[in-house]
Amino acid sequence: MIVRALLSAAILAVVSPRLHAETLVTALSTERVYIESNFTGSGVVIFGTVERDRQTVARPEPYEIVVTLTGPLRSMVARRKERVAGIWINRESSELPRVPSFLAIATTAPMVDVAGNRVRAGQGLGFDMLPTRGLPDALPPIRTEYDAAFLRLMQRQGLFTLNEGSVEFLSSQLFRAPIELPANVPIGWYTATVYLFSGGVLLAKTTQDFSILKGGFEQTITNLAHRDPALYGLATVVVACLTGWLAGVAFRKD
Amino acid sequence: MDLYLPIAEMPMNLFLLLGMGAAVGFLSGMFGVGGGFLLTPLLIFSGISPAVAVASVSSQIVANSTSGVLAYLRKKTVDLKLGLFLTLSGIIGSAIGVWVYGALRGIGQLDVVIALSYVAFLGTIGMLMVVEAVRAILAKQRGTPLPVRRPGQHSWIAGLPLRVRFHRSRLYISALPVIALGASIGFLGALLGIGGGFIMVPALIYLLKVPTTIVIGTTLLQTLGTMAFTTFMQSATNQTVDVILGLALMVGGVVGAQFGARVGQSLRGETLRLLLGLLVLSVGLRFAVDLVARPDELYSISRMGGW
Repeated sequence: MIVRALLSAAILAVVSPRLHAETLVTALSTERVYIESNFTGSGVVIFGTVERDRQTVARPEPYEIVVTLTGPLRSMVARRKERVAGIWINRESSELPRVPSFLAIATTAPMVDVAGNRVRAGQGLGFDMLPTRGLPDALPPIRTEYDAAFLRLMQRQGLFTLNEGSVEFLSSQLFRAPIELPANVPIGWYTATVYLFSGGVLLAKTTQDFSILKGGFEQTITNLAHRDPALYGLATVVVACLTGWLAGVAFRKD
Repeated sequence: MDLYLPIAEMPMNLFLLLGMGAAVGFLSGMFGVGGGFLLTPLLIFSGISPAVAVASVSSQIVANSTSGVLAYLRKKTVDLKLGLFLTLSGIIGSAIGVWVYGALRGIGQLDVVIALSYVAFLGTIGMLMVVEAVRAILAKQRGTPLPVRRPGQHSWIAGLPLRVRFHRSRLYISALPVIALGASIGFLGALLGIGGGFIMVPALIYLLKVPTTIVIGTTLLQTLGTMAFTTFMQSATNQTVDVILGLALMVGGVVGAQFGARVGQSLRGETLRLLLGLLVLSVGLRFAVDLVARPDELYSISRMGGW
């Protein structure tokens, strides 16, 4: 019986492998994070299940999940200091067009065990495979010292994080991936991508958008500063003058 | 308690901000200087981008100088005409400064220019102040009075063409050095986030021979006018003024200044000048060390075309 079932499953997998591969269903604990005046960081949890049906092939290897949370893309410049006439000043620089301003990676196991370099390079998955000059390629990206500095400094600022083993399976199919958002998290649109691997093969992938926004008061100030900068400037000067005047009145000795 | 700064896009401890404002306000009240030259570096050292720090400190300087100007106006020790000349030229200098700031930021050389400028100005002024104060203290101990410069004596600078009469200061001097002085202070103010009082006061006393009683009120008036314009310009062109940051610094600053002023009145003039000189010198040294010492990290990253 078992042999026959396996055999038929194997035949089905060969004939129509797409129909019976696992599917991923994922959800975010929140779709929007608001940054209010008391914001000191937050978190978001990505939930998901590995959907199988009766005809899905049995996997000899366990499921591995990788979750990435990618912040808005920005063009950056990396600069290198050199000693000129005794002082250290910026000399050479290199542009990194459209790189993530935030990247949190969470996995069920060490990245190297989840998938090989080739698979990860094709997906641009992992700091070592993150494309800094264009789209992901089948080959691992070539790193200049500026790219390396970018990756190092982003990690030091807490904007690029890797948490191997932080994704946990609650049952054989249900998993959760908590991701921390630090206080200096950039504002904008984020994409949460969930990858399902087994035996080093990518089985399924889902993406979901969510956004980090400034709260009501913070947004009002930012809007005013950007949409009506002259009025904002004028208001700031008036506030400053009033504060100074009030202080003068409050502390007047005569 | 952390406070999220909407323009700087980062949280900072409210009490740290109030404390920094108060500490700098205390020193500025004690020494009669604006304190921007201390506050801007402090903010930069605590992780706020130089663009936001410089621009937001200018709003704090506005608040500080407003209460100062009002106090001196009540005492009638402000030369309004001289102040107007200095302010108008300061505004021109500030406009150029804001533009140069943006240009330097674009090519990634802003930090080094700021550091070098701080070293040059704070080093020179601090050294002069220390030397002068030590000489005064020594002379007092020996009982030999220092040769006093007579106020009526005009230097060659005052004798340049385009003479203007400043009644309140009892001066009839060329407008050219006045305009040059105002414009340079305005330029430095926008570029470095300083009010420039610590340069303006000695320049007015020693170069233009303005009576000492008039100098501080008039300097404050110029600082107020120029910095109000700088705040407006930075908001309008660079959008880097964080009003929440500015407000926290203002509240701390104005309170600290009142206590500083009381301590300042009980200290002797020479001692005060020596302390201020040493303070100015040490900030300059800090920048010099950072420039010369090999940095731990040779690389830096920033957003293209901005911060």
